[in-house]
Amino acid sequence: MVWWNPLANAAQPFLPTSSSGLIVSLLLTPAVGGLLVTLLRGKRASGVITVASTLLVLVQTLVLIGDIIAEKQLSAFGGLFYLDALGALILLPIAGVGFVSAIYSINYMGRQHERGLLDDKHITRYYQLFNAFMLTMLLVPVSNNMGLMWVAIEATTLVSVLLIMLYTKEGAIEAAWKYLIIATVGLSLALFGIVLFSYSEATAAPSSVSSAAASSLNWTYVSANAASLNPEVVKFAFIFVLIGFGTKAGLAPMHTWLPDAHSEAPTPVSALLSGVLLNCSIYAILRFDIVTSGTLGSAFSSQMLVILGAVSMGVAAASIYFAKDMKRMLAYSSVEHMGIITLGVGFGGFLGIFGALFQIINHAIAKSLMFFASGTISQKYDTKAISEIKGILKIMPVTGVVFLIGGLTIVGMPPFNIFAGEFLILTSGFSGGQFLAISLFLTFSVVIFAGLMKHLIPMVFGNPKGPGRETAIDANPKRDDMGWLAVVPMAALAAFLIMLGVYLPQPLETLIRDAVQVFNQG
Amino acid sequence: MQVPQPDILTLSSAGLLVATFGVVVRRSFAGWLSAYRYQTVVLAGTTAVIAYFADLPELYVAAALTLVIKAVLIPRILVRVTEKIKGEFKIEANPYVSIRLSVLISALLVALSYALVQETLSTASLDVLATTYVPVSVSLFFIGLFVMVSRRMALNQVVGLLIIENGLFLFTAALTYGLALIIEIGILADILVGVIIASVLLSRMSQTFDTLDMTRLENLRDD
Repeated sequence: MVWWNPLANAAQPFLPTSSSGLIVSLLLTPAVGGLLVTLLRGKRASGVITVASTLLVLVQTLVLIGDIIAEKQLSAFGGLFYLDALGALILLPIAGVGFVSAIYSINYMGRQHERGLLDDKHITRYYQLFNAFMLTMLLVPVSNNMGLMWVAIEATTLVSVLLIMLYTKEGAIEAAWKYLIIATVGLSLALFGIVLFSYSEATAAPSSVSSAAASSLNWTYVSANAASLNPEVVKFAFIFVLIGFGTKAGLAPMHTWLPDAHSEAPTPVSALLSGVLLNCSIYAILRFDIVTSGTLGSAFSSQMLVILGAVSMGVAAASIYFAKDMKRMLAYSSVEHMGIITLGVGFGGFLGIFGALFQIINHAIAKSLMFFASGTISQKYDTKAISEIKGILKIMPVTGVVFLIGGLTIVGMPPFNIFAGEFLILTSGFSGGQFLAISLFLTFSVVIFAGLMKHLIPMVFGNPKGPGRETAIDANPKRDDMGWLAVVPMAALAAFLIMLGVYLPQPLETLIRDAVQVFNQG
Repeated sequence: MQVPQPDILTLSSAGLLVATFGVVVRRSFAGWLSAYRYQTVVLAGTTAVIAYFADLPELYVAAALTLVIKAVLIPRILVRVTEKIKGEFKIEANPYVSIRLSVLISALLVALSYALVQETLSTASLDVLATTYVPVSVSLFFIGLFVMVSRRMALNQVVGLLIIENGLFLFTAALTYGLALIIEIGILADILVGVIIASVLLSRMSQTFDTLDMTRLENLRDD
């Protein structure tokens, strides 16, 4: 057995084909990007390099998705990396949101620099960490080994803590500390679960304990042998994994770190944290759900997913209604959407899983749009307090429009894409007879609709110069959308929101169908 | 596989638990660190014992890495980075749960761990190494968690996390004879970086807030 390769005995030949080489170069791209940022340093150069590296990541991801649609699965590096339709589906938002977030960063971080909140050293460090963050997130859906995936997810925590720590203000320190401690404890529970999965494998075939110890942690191996795992142990393992990765995915009641971390991070990073990083943990839960369903039947894990999903929606509904801070409100909306995704998977069936996977893409687009808009707005108004921000439409016409579109999308209004996803999930719940969960879903959705609209309408349509408000807007009432580099990413995301609401492109539909197929095979 | 002498097993389990109680009874950061270092040395020895009886050369490497990174490097980093933090922040003067009660609760947690393992994992299928060490590892996890929530000072949360992580390592080694080496290295790297980040955060916290008392760290709320 080769020491670095736990899969050497897994009968997979080391044959780098062009597309499996692409997985490796996909991971190398942000690593090289980070290195170049370190070497060149300049503020402008770092931004351009990061945009270039994320663009390359996006192009490679699209090529990989083409390959996946054609070949169903790829593996690289002697089987250490593995990609199927489900992994590719998670890869897509990482690459897509990563790219627009890099573009948005140039404008946003540039302005933070002008205001003296960050110096040159911080900007360089920001782009280094941005590339590192991309690397750790890309590693999650391509690793074939549960342990490696765990290492990657823990690494995303560490890198994103460093990104939040870029600011030295009190709020950022407090948020970073809570995030680091809570996420790490959660993930150590998840690692207990992973070890238990590995043990359930060993008990199933006691003769091969020592040799199976390594390869039994492979998705390809475990999913294929799910039926022979020890069911009692798998039950415990799934609970640990669900609580552990659920903490990192922001599922209530383990979500307490999330609003702090997401609201205190630099805005382009908030978009990545909410729109993309949460999906990585959801992905881990989905993988374990597939294995658990293969061992115990789908009833056990589905029930737990439905409960956690409904609780998350409920907690989010109350918090959104009473929100005072714009970015915290958006963070709670992420808790809600993670809840909806888990509900969809819990309801199961083709429609439920299709809806949940579609929702992962939809939420990534909508939430990053909302965070970008909120970042521009808070720079203009110099506050994040909902009560201080009025009349965005009058001051920043384009940002106001996209903020409104994004807001209507995240509450699930037709004709936008999130409505389509939620409709699929609800349909699946009805046909599965989950009436209690459905009625909770609808109730919480109504509360969230009311709560978000209560905040959103005055923010967008109100009078910017109302009495009793002394905001920065009085001093600088110029109509201005803060530069085209901020507007273009938002406009592009808004276009996707509208398009996916009415039309699902053929390749994306095939990809999601194939990903649902991965669930059925498990 | 040779069956190991029960003496070695009992001795090492006792050593691990004694070190854990060392963290529970002490009030100062230096005290916790020395207890943690002692625990890690015993853990590395235990891992070597498992490696010997299971005949797994990989596990020796994991044991050696544990010794170097967790018993030498991590305590040193923690001491170095927290040098500037005022001495008074490094002492747990007024924990939520008194030290005496903490010892009692920790003892109950150990008992609970043994009962829990017996209930949940069908002990008949476990070998002697697993039956000895799995309950110990679960108690390390519980006590680590208890230390994190029962004390005021932020430093405790780092120490608690490190104990949990030691429990996790033992759990892995005892139940499945360790993960693949590349994964163990990845986990150790994550811990090392995590400890560095945590200690930088701690020294920033002590400067910005002029306290490490977690009860005062509640500015971010929804109201």
